[in-house]
Amino acid sequence: MAKIPITLQINGERHEALVEPDRTLLDVLRTELGLTGTKTNCLDAECGVCTVLVDGLAVNSCLYLAVVAQGRAITTIEGLAPAGSGRAPAGTLHPLQQAFVEHGAVQCGYCIPGMILSAKAYLDDHPRPSEAQIREALAGNLCRCTGYQKIVDAVLAAAQRMAGGAVAS
Amino acid sequence: MSGATRVVGHSLPRLDAPGKVTGSAVYAADFALPGMLYGKVFRSREPHARLVRLDTSRAAAIAGVRAVIAAADVPDVRYGAAVKDEPVFAPDIVRYVGQPVAAVAAVTLEAAEAALAAIEAVYEPLAPVLDLAAALAPGAPLVHEGWQAYTAIPILQRDGNVCNRARIVVGDVERGWAEADRVFEHRFTTAMVHQGYTEPRAAVAAWDSSGQVTVWSNTQLPFDVQATLADILAIAPSKIRVIVPGVGGGFGGKLRVGVEHFAALLARKAGRPVKVMTTSEEELTAAYPRQGTVIELKTGVTRDGRLTARQGRIYFDTGAFAGSGPGVASVATLVLAGPYRTPNLHLEGYAVYTNKTNCGSYRAPSGPQANFAVESQMDIIADALGIDPLELRLRNIVREGDEGPTGQVLSAVGLEECLRRAAEAIGWRDRRPGPGRGKGLAIGWWTTTGGSSGVYVKINPDGTVALNTGAVEIGTAALTGAAQVLAEALGVDLTDITVVSGDTFATPFDFGAQGSRTAFAVGNACRAAAAELQRKLFAQAAAQLGAAEETLELRDKHVVGPNGRISLAELARQSQLAGGGMIAHGTFIAPGTAYDTKRVEGHVYPAFHSPSFHAHAVDLSVDGETGEVTIHKYVVAQDVGFALNPTYVEGQIEGGVAQGLGQTLSEEIVYRDGRVLNANLTDYKMPTTLDVPRVESILVEHPGRVGPFGAKGVGEPPNVEPPAAVANAIAAAVGTRITSLPITAEKIVLGQNGGAR
Amino acid sequence: MSRFEYHQPESLRDAVALAGRFGAEASFLAGGTDLIVQIERGRVAPRHVIGLHRVPGLAGIAANGRIILGARVTHRAIEQAPALAGALRCLIEGAEVIGGHQVRNVATVGGNLVNASPAADLAPCLLALDGVVALVGPGGERELPVERFLLGPNRTARRPDELLNRVSLPGLPARTASAFLKAGRRRAMEISVVCVAARLTLDASLERCLEARVALGAVAPTAVRAHEAERALEGQPVGGEAFRRAAEAARAACRPIDDVRASAAFREHLVGVLVRRALDRCVERARQAT
Repeated sequence: MAKIPITLQINGERHEALVEPDRTLLDVLRTELGLTGTKTNCLDAECGVCTVLVDGLAVNSCLYLAVVAQGRAITTIEGLAPAGSGRAPAGTLHPLQQAFVEHGAVQCGYCIPGMILSAKAYLDDHPRPSEAQIREALAGNLCRCTGYQKIVDAVLAAAQRMAGGAVAS
Repeated sequence: MSGATRVVGHSLPRLDAPGKVTGSAVYAADFALPGMLYGKVFRSREPHARLVRLDTSRAAAIAGVRAVIAAADVPDVRYGAAVKDEPVFAPDIVRYVGQPVAAVAAVTLEAAEAALAAIEAVYEPLAPVLDLAAALAPGAPLVHEGWQAYTAIPILQRDGNVCNRARIVVGDVERGWAEADRVFEHRFTTAMVHQGYTEPRAAVAAWDSSGQVTVWSNTQLPFDVQATLADILAIAPSKIRVIVPGVGGGFGGKLRVGVEHFAALLARKAGRPVKVMTTSEEELTAAYPRQGTVIELKTGVTRDGRLTARQGRIYFDTGAFAGSGPGVASVATLVLAGPYRTPNLHLEGYAVYTNKTNCGSYRAPSGPQANFAVESQMDIIADALGIDPLELRLRNIVREGDEGPTGQVLSAVGLEECLRRAAEAIGWRDRRPGPGRGKGLAIGWWTTTGGSSGVYVKINPDGTVALNTGAVEIGTAALTGAAQVLAEALGVDLTDITVVSGDTFATPFDFGAQGSRTAFAVGNACRAAAAELQRKLFAQAAAQLGAAEETLELRDKHVVGPNGRISLAELARQSQLAGGGMIAHGTFIAPGTAYDTKRVEGHVYPAFHSPSFHAHAVDLSVDGETGEVTIHKYVVAQDVGFALNPTYVEGQIEGGVAQGLGQTLSEEIVYRDGRVLNANLTDYKMPTTLDVPRVESILVEHPGRVGPFGAKGVGEPPNVEPPAAVANAIAAAVGTRITSLPITAEKIVLGQNGGAR
Repeated sequence: MSRFEYHQPESLRDAVALAGRFGAEASFLAGGTDLIVQIERGRVAPRHVIGLHRVPGLAGIAANGRIILGARVTHRAIEQAPALAGALRCLIEGAEVIGGHQVRNVATVGGNLVNASPAADLAPCLLALDGVVALVGPGGERELPVERFLLGPNRTARRPDELLNRVSLPGLPARTASAFLKAGRRRAMEISVVCVAARLTLDASLERCLEARVALGAVAPTAVRAHEAERALEGQPVGGEAFRRAAEAARAACRPIDDVRASAAFREHLVGVLVRRALDRCVERARQAT
């Protein structure tokens, strides 16, 4: 079958691509568009390193066809910006990213982009989560380095900052 | 802890965090070059067979395929850490399902996969050796008929399917049995488990016109990979440059060549760069997992609980090639002794060949397996003698100045403090707080591996500092810790330091990210470099400050004297203009640890250097009907010597316990008839956020004599004690003693053989 | 070169027409969490994939006496549906334990049913709630109870030219409660070792069982109703002896296998435990609700 032209809305920007229908969103992000912040591993929806947001919902991009992503708003780790602003100036971190840095939640870092996006999707809907709720929200993101504890601490801290602070995005 | 220091000992954010949280950090799996091809490996489908025909012609004809190689295309070289028994591609015999037989490179991944499907391999099955019992049975088929011809470390004790037998003998165990009032004998088994790093093994190789190859890889040991590639490619090591862009977790699984050699060989054949990356299935069938084991432990005690003798044998199912087996079998004997005063010891570790994937080193290799046996048995003994398990341990643990099992003198022994504080934190007095609920303890000791490290440190004209190290950051924040040591010594801030690492051409030699050694060794190399820089800085500043060098100090990014000060930036600027720049070389190698050579045989690792000591305690409940285990509290007290960065030391403990709980309760690579049944992450069950409890970390500090500020290695120890601590707590909770890992709900309910027909 | 041709029909009629045209060479694509995995692993190789994302009317939940779930209703939508939070709660409980959020955000009830894994968590819930599927083909629409829809591992009564377009759940009498329980080796991301869904309708005294449904997952080639267990409950006083006999009958009804996740013997044992506990929970909930 001929390649299909698609327009992907990624981090607020339009990207045009010509893709075979069986290409996954993960593959198109990493290989066509050079956005390697979204990671590759099991390709089986078991580990979560490929997590991106589609219309604000966390999905495993390894099983999401690029052609299905047409017309939807996709957020990758590269697009995280402080709530309320557009493209962040270089050097500004999203409260979740800042909290992960401050709480020692980052070790090897490979699971972190997916982890942060899953957390963001959850906090955007549940601004005052309990620890149990955060753990449940992140159950689809495996981390082998941290034992999750400081990740949970970071999300709790970010939630407080985000709820207490700025305008909703 | 940190009161007297400005930078070390403080929980400062790690230097590489911003890149990681923004997705801009590049890992080997992300690395790409223009015009790059994709490589895939064709692997054996038989556990033991003669390869009678290999036809790659149809594969080579597929559109987009640019290279196909097999044994005939590569030098006839065998490699391996201890025994050089492993070929790049099986030339005639395949020895495990998953063993590489050929490789292809193509313009797309799809074309490479199509090429694999087009390769024809015809096998003549041979009798497979499926497990330890089969390998050790008299008259067993040999996994390696030609084992005697292999080059191996000379002291190894090899014989047929045994690729090493390491032994420690102290005193006379017969005398020990005679002195004992009770003798206990038990058998334990543990399963093969995988490190579970979230980034697959990956490498990109590119040759230049001068015959030099650069390999970008997520290896933990770039210099070791360089040396192995030199053998495999039959070129000088200086023609091989290994660069580590970034590693998504290693835990020992990324020590040795995984895909680098395939990338380099394919790139040479194709004349274009080639990237090779493993799949989850390849990781779970053809990587370097932790060996499954059988452990036989016999211990004699007096009626008041004093250990008189211990005899132990631990058999490692190390798979089709020796891999790290011989070394792991050696380390195991020290774990079997445990941090206990036992006058008579006869401890053996066997590394055994079978027709399964060759196993390697996984965080504290041999630790969790041997410790599971030792610490479980200690509790069984305590129970039988009617002595509290805490008390039994206190009566036997080593103390300052005691000898270790091979005669090394132990110093900075923080074990008693660890044990008491862990017990207190778990509420040990109330061991069985309710029905189905119990608490367990386990203790252990571990090493800080030696090996040398070199660094270059340069002060830039803007006052920032470049730390250039051959070490690799695998996630532990060890290089941030080393940078903290450097910042402390130079009187600068951590954020003034930039780290460049892991490049065999551009950075000095480093023994690699293994054995919990990186912060320890690189930190000390930084101290050496800082001392040299201080000499140069003072020499240059003295005249300008009109002061003697002895009156100068480094403070606040300046050289400060009684009459004034000059900034490091200014001194660096001057040196760059007139003196070639403010740069120093620092090196470090840990002094050897003296031990009694007469006590050991076949032993590759006869002493634990700058040993750490630790105690784990857990409070859990068991659902008697479903076997489900719920952990209420988990405490670790670890003697870290000195916590260079408490947050990241805690991170090692929290992560190590999580990984250890996976090995304890849910993880196993299941083989049947030489094939893995669960080679995917659906059925290889690593713990999720809902499976891991919070861990309370108690950082105990008995500073060692060698490490920077007294630090000891911290990365591996937390993996050691979880299986035994949990097994002991389960026994306390429901009276069920499980001696096989993983301790599944099924084993708890139906007994340790489970219910399988 | 793509492994399949992709189609994006914009109406139910067009979707059905495409299925009619390509038959067994086509697969419908909803969330993709089963289909794409199977294509990647080479276990299925459809030459045509018919994406349902642009077909209107498949993703709604309607509640008026009956509950109607469009085939593309996601597990997440089920978890959040107020209409399902009462007597039908077992369906929410079955939906919220599959995969992680990422999977539940896209995986659909229709896809789960059509994939027909013997260990599917929603299937026992739909059985316990007397679910009925509606299939649309070139000849029109037909309805089938879920129990007659699931035929074997990855096998259903759907003809290649039919689209499963909704699942209906009949209204439930007063004093009805349901519960779902699952056992696995870890607490999330788990394919069930065993799962159980139960539904009880109690009499006015809340002491006696009028109607019972007991459904089991991961212990037979499909999710199954344990009819003997249900007969052992109907008309009986709740708790104690009746629940014990029902649990025994459920154990006898299952045909589990030994596999890498668990042995048959352990699965049988767990069925007995989980059925009893699910029934206890139904009674608790029925009593709390009044």
